[in-house]
Amino acid sequence: MAKNGKAIKQIAIYGKGGIGKSTTTSNLSAALADLGYKVMQFGCDPKADSTNTLRDGSYIPTVLELLRDRGSVNAHDAIFVGYNGIYCVEAGGPAPGVGCAGRGIITAVQLLKEQDIFEELDLDYVIYDVLGDVVCGGFAVPIREGIAQHVFTVSSSDFMAIYAANNLFKGIQKYSNSGGALLGGIIANSVSPESNYQRSIIDDFAARTSTQIMQYIPRSVTVTQSELSGKTTIEAAPDSAQAKVYRELARRIDEHVDSKTPTPLEPSQLRDWAAEWSDQILAIETGEVRTEAANI
Amino acid sequence: MAQILDQPRYKCALAAMQTVHAIPRAIPILHAGPGCGTKLNDNTGISGYYSPNIFPSTNIGEKEVVFGGEGKLRTTIENALKIIDADLFVVLTGCTAEIIGDDAEEIVHEFADAGKRVIYVNTPGFKGSNYQGHDWVLTALFEQYLPRERVPVNAKQVNIFPGPPVQDPFWHGNLKELESLFREIGLEPNIIFGYGNGVSAVDRIPAGAFNILVSPWVGLDSVKVLEKKYGTPYLHYPVLPIGATETSKFLRAVGKFTKVDELHVERVIAEHEKEYYYFIERYSDTFLELRILSKRFVVISDAQYAIAATKFLVNDLGWNPGGTQFVTDNTPEEYRESVRSEFEKLNYGIKASMEFSTNGFEIQKKIRESGFTAPPMIFGSSWDKSFAKEIYAPFLNISYPTYDRLIINSGVVGYAGGLKFLEDIYTTAVQSLIL
Ligand SMILES: Nc1ncnc2c1ncn2[C@@H]1O[C@H](COP(=O)(O)OP(=O)(O)OP(=O)(O)O)[C@@H](O)[C@H]1O
Ligand SMILES: [Mg+2]
Repeated sequence: MAKNGKAIKQIAIYGKGGIGKSTTTSNLSAALADLGYKVMQFGCDPKADSTNTLRDGSYIPTVLELLRDRGSVNAHDAIFVGYNGIYCVEAGGPAPGVGCAGRGIITAVQLLKEQDIFEELDLDYVIYDVLGDVVCGGFAVPIREGIAQHVFTVSSSDFMAIYAANNLFKGIQKYSNSGGALLGGIIANSVSPESNYQRSIIDDFAARTSTQIMQYIPRSVTVTQSELSGKTTIEAAPDSAQAKVYRELARRIDEHVDSKTPTPLEPSQLRDWAAEWSDQILAIETGEVRTEAANI
Repeated sequence: MAQILDQPRYKCALAAMQTVHAIPRAIPILHAGPGCGTKLNDNTGISGYYSPNIFPSTNIGEKEVVFGGEGKLRTTIENALKIIDADLFVVLTGCTAEIIGDDAEEIVHEFADAGKRVIYVNTPGFKGSNYQGHDWVLTALFEQYLPRERVPVNAKQVNIFPGPPVQDPFWHGNLKELESLFREIGLEPNIIFGYGNGVSAVDRIPAGAFNILVSPWVGLDSVKVLEKKYGTPYLHYPVLPIGATETSKFLRAVGKFTKVDELHVERVIAEHEKEYYYFIERYSDTFLELRILSKRFVVISDAQYAIAATKFLVNDLGWNPGGTQFVTDNTPEEYRESVRSEFEKLNYGIKASMEFSTNGFEIQKKIRESGFTAPPMIFGSSWDKSFAKEIYAPFLNISYPTYDRLIINSGVVGYAGGLKFLEDIYTTAVQSLIL
């Protein structure tokens, strides 16, 4: 609960590496800030690049860097203000190949939690942008008890992205009994909302795992252009069609209340499911399924 | 099912720091969290020059866990080399360092030209016990420290490798006795552990014509490393010989393996047996007439002492192995059959039943339920003392932990060791007399 008694909505964004988590999260934060909310974006990735586009492409000192250099950290020193008053935090972590990045996430998240900084800042939203696959316990911290309430996963219709999403669902299922975060839904990135097989695949996966699609976000050169200028699409191209898509996503997430326990597929089920789709796509490619093929 | 760790009878692999510490002029450097060294340090006879309380340790904490502990390891080694007068430094990695994947090998390699030798060994507690850790330390020593080229071989030199020092409470005395027996049959024993030995003895290992491992299973991998490295043949002798029967057998086996003059070995044996049985005879009244022992026994100890004591009690004393003997060292699966078979090779065709168990509660339950008509004598560790009292069993501590007994340099090996063991057994017995 924040100072005035309102609940802080804490959200964790997961997904396969490189799938568009940070891009989507930053646009979501920007859109929520534009709606008048007080938002913190918390990058949980040793790369520490989650909040770049909220701060004109600049890097900020990370919680763990500060901890390493000073031995203790005052949360205020790790919080930097970005686009439209968004509070930006990066957990940071070790250089690739050494130490334990997972433990780093645990340390950084706990450090901020202990200092009651979310309440002090009177936040409406805390959004955790968490590194790729949930490789070890450390990366599951945001979905454990008492941190985030809602998890959204960014996924394309590629099998490996879906595989990672399915793994995440297993993690959510595991912690669901002990008060952990539940699944809000899938953010379908690089999936064009026009009907084609990409959309059918991700829709089918959502149905099989008892969840929903929050938004279909097409691949767009506007995103690339904005990123190159160090900005979110919301900031750089507020009137673009893509910005509208992100704003719509923000509105839906803002309205979202009840998250659920997903029903992840077993490895064999997932394989069979993928094989079915492979046959179907082949049929589309060879022209057997004309109506679908027309859209490719 | 998860179990509560009850009555630990051995420790984690990092406790193999004691194997290093048993080699004079070698010093362990722990790459572990604060407290590991101290917690593993509950034996007696470990103070003196660089005791475990002040072993160099990286004491890694949250910062090293997140960012890696290699930097801390480097400075710890650097400083240890600066201030500690020793010839060999052995880095032992603990659980935390191994989980985060610190590369001790790479850091140790940086000290290749430091003027003092530094080697490393991975000893995370989750990977094994100090019995295994002992073997890993020796393997590291042989692979990393010893030169690739073999020096001229001394045809009489035999390197003797025992079970883990310190974990074996009689290690000092046993090694001295083994040394002297080997000398008597005309060999030049080389032992790296204990008083008068050390890193200089490690340097002599390549000159050995033979390696002899006196241990049921601990240390087998490391003698194989030496065989591979230098082609040194090894004898794996699984029985720590206590008393005349086993010691004579042992000397014959060693003599045959090292091809020393058989007649000479027999002369040595005959002389010792004459003396040994002279004493047995003079005290046979005590053994035969003192009817306060049921002459039944249960050993609760590691494979080494469970086998050694069972053989001695059956073969030399004619006791009855009635119930079950318990091996508590969590013997790896691959060695269990050979350990078990030793309990079936007893004089007069006697076979003792045995079990592998690390669970003190289960062991005690089984002893209670095994229907002894009179309480057996219990040979175990401090954990078994109050249990023995409960069932009115005489009790002798021969195994870690030995909190209630002080052993300095006495041993149980050999002819002399057998008599000493008898003293201990019957001292325990007569102490129950109310005078
Ligand atoms: N809808 C989109 N249209 C165009 N480009 C996109 C879109 N979504 C993401 N991208 C681009 O894909 C690249 C990877 O995106 P991003 O860094 O957000 O992924 P990530 O999931 O956070 O990666 P990581 O796992 O490495 O943190 C970026 O260059 C981004 O601009
Ligand atoms: Mg990212």
